Amino acid sequence: MPSGALLFQSVLLGILLGGLYALLASGLTLYFGIMRVVMIAHSAFLILAAYLAWWLHERAGLDPLLTMLGTVPLFFAAGVGLQRLLLTRLRPATLTMMSVLLTFAIALLIEGLLGYAFTGTQRRIQLGYGSASIEVLGARVAVVKLIAFGLAVVALGTLYVLMKRTRFGWALRATIQHRDAARLLGIDTDRVAGFGFGIGLATAAVGGTALSLDTTIYPSLHWHWIGPLMAIIVVGGLGSVPGAAIAALVLGMAQSLLQIPMGTTWAQTVFYVALFATLAIRPQGFFGGRLAQRF
Amino acid sequence: MPSASKVLKLAVVALLAVAVLAFPSIAPNPYILSAGVLVVYYAVLATSWNFVGGFTGYISLGHGALAGLGAYATGLLAAKAGVPSFLALLLGGLFVGLLAVPIGLAALRVRGASFVIVSIALVLIMLLVFQSWASVTGGSRGLVVPRPFSVTRPEHHRIFYFLFAGLLALALLAWWLIDRSRFGLGLKSIREDEDKAEALGTATYAYKLIVFVVSAVFTALAGGLYALWFGDLDPVFQFSILTGSYLVLMALLGGVRQLFGPVTGAIIVGTALEYFKVEYGDTPLHLVATGLLLALVVLFMPDGVLPAIGDLIKRFDRSRSTSIREVSAAELREQRLQNTGGSR
Repeated sequence: MPSGALLFQSVLLGILLGGLYALLASGLTLYFGIMRVVMIAHSAFLILAAYLAWWLHERAGLDPLLTMLGTVPLFFAAGVGLQRLLLTRLRPATLTMMSVLLTFAIALLIEGLLGYAFTGTQRRIQLGYGSASIEVLGARVAVVKLIAFGLAVVALGTLYVLMKRTRFGWALRATIQHRDAARLLGIDTDRVAGFGFGIGLATAAVGGTALSLDTTIYPSLHWHWIGPLMAIIVVGGLGSVPGAAIAALVLGMAQSLLQIPMGTTWAQTVFYVALFATLAIRPQGFFGGRLAQRF
Repeated sequence: MPSASKVLKLAVVALLAVAVLAFPSIAPNPYILSAGVLVVYYAVLATSWNFVGGFTGYISLGHGALAGLGAYATGLLAAKAGVPSFLALLLGGLFVGLLAVPIGLAALRVRGASFVIVSIALVLIMLLVFQSWASVTGGSRGLVVPRPFSVTRPEHHRIFYFLFAGLLALALLAWWLIDRSRFGLGLKSIREDEDKAEALGTATYAYKLIVFVVSAVFTALAGGLYALWFGDLDPVFQFSILTGSYLVLMALLGGVRQLFGPVTGAIIVGTALEYFKVEYGDTPLHLVATGLLLALVVLFMPDGVLPAIGDLIKRFDRSRSTSIREVSAAELREQRLQNTGGSR
């Protein structure tokens, strides 16, 4: 039986991890809500952002957090471009399937180019505060994990305010709920969809920077992330942002707790077990997600 | 009197068959021969993929996992249990066929995007299991599979080339039979409009499951044959998400509605892959090339090469009958929109 302190530490780490998962999965649910697009390349952009943070730190000595000033707008623009230039070219009847393949191709491109530019060597940012940790009620928590969690909270909070309090957020939610009706009300749904995509990709920029703080990165790392993230959005119900957040916290916690008896590798299977269990019991996902089964 | 296009088609098929059978005799060296074996292997996999992808429109990126399972089932039976190689191959195929039932039961409950996600998850979870479970699978040290024949290397390639070609013929025959059957018609109705098909009394769930299992068995047999041919298995390569994407690329590029579409795609993409490997060796540029090719096909040629060529031939062949033609839901929608003059 693991000690109480160890359990407490695992719960704490689980919450921190879950927060990061929630941030990344929220981007995926946005894409899906807006255009029924499953964005396989999301985690590849995540690694791209992490690489940019690492590279700028290596070259210019920039703090990774500062690189976000550049990567967030850049990724936003990339998202808008991706939606307006590529995804709208696909035929509506086969959009969902073909978008998977198109974004898969983009993921391969990013992985290949990263490997070409920076080789397959594992990279890690060396920070002054990289190994620092603080004690919370007897549990040791690395400062970088707290920073990553803080970033996730700020980003998700901003996203929430944006969606609920601004005109753009209303337009975006209307577009998600019923595209044709939104257009009848005078909303330029194409524009809104483009911006929505940009915001989704901007969350990847934030998440990637958070990731770069305390993970060793390499070009093919995105495959390790895509599985858990996909599992989270299916369990949470495709297209439901709160569902994804809850599923992210629950599964992140489960992974963290299972690491004690099973070790890190086997603990990862919890995502896939949850995925298949969800499909067997409730294919539309456990929270919200009335869209899921049909797409 | 058969139409000119039919004669032409038969001639092309016959020519292709002769070329395939003659390849080992004209291959200049064992390396080219082994590349040929790989291309035929891809052709079997792509054709097997097309049972699900072509008929039902469900796109699986996880068929690499089924091939890997077939390879490991065959390899483990032959290496650890001492089962004769080709009995192990059949048992491996049978095993994966049985395993495909629960996988299909879970995965086919959801449509479109969710199905693709599940198929990706299948590869990732298999990679995790086979890497971690080293006591049985050998983990990343690999699994050495005993070779079934004690012959020289070129002769070994030659034998397996014909074995793969035989399996390809079998898969093509099965696809052709389903294509012309009532069962095939039901599957295509799923592709075009699953809700309407179900409302009209098609047992869509059972249909999907049956064709998924058929596809899994052929995929596993190809994987098992690969294990016997190659003789060394590594989870990283057997359970690679890339394998699955190659198959999709091949089938799409060639054309998923055509019998010979995936084969055509496999010849084009398989040759390109081998070329990239020789040219760029260990650099990750082959990923870039694959990504670019996939993006281009999806954006500009979603129907594949063969239909494009077919259209070209039709333009010159006026005698073609116009009574019954297969029209996809997407094409109908496009026509309707053009007629009404509306936008999306």
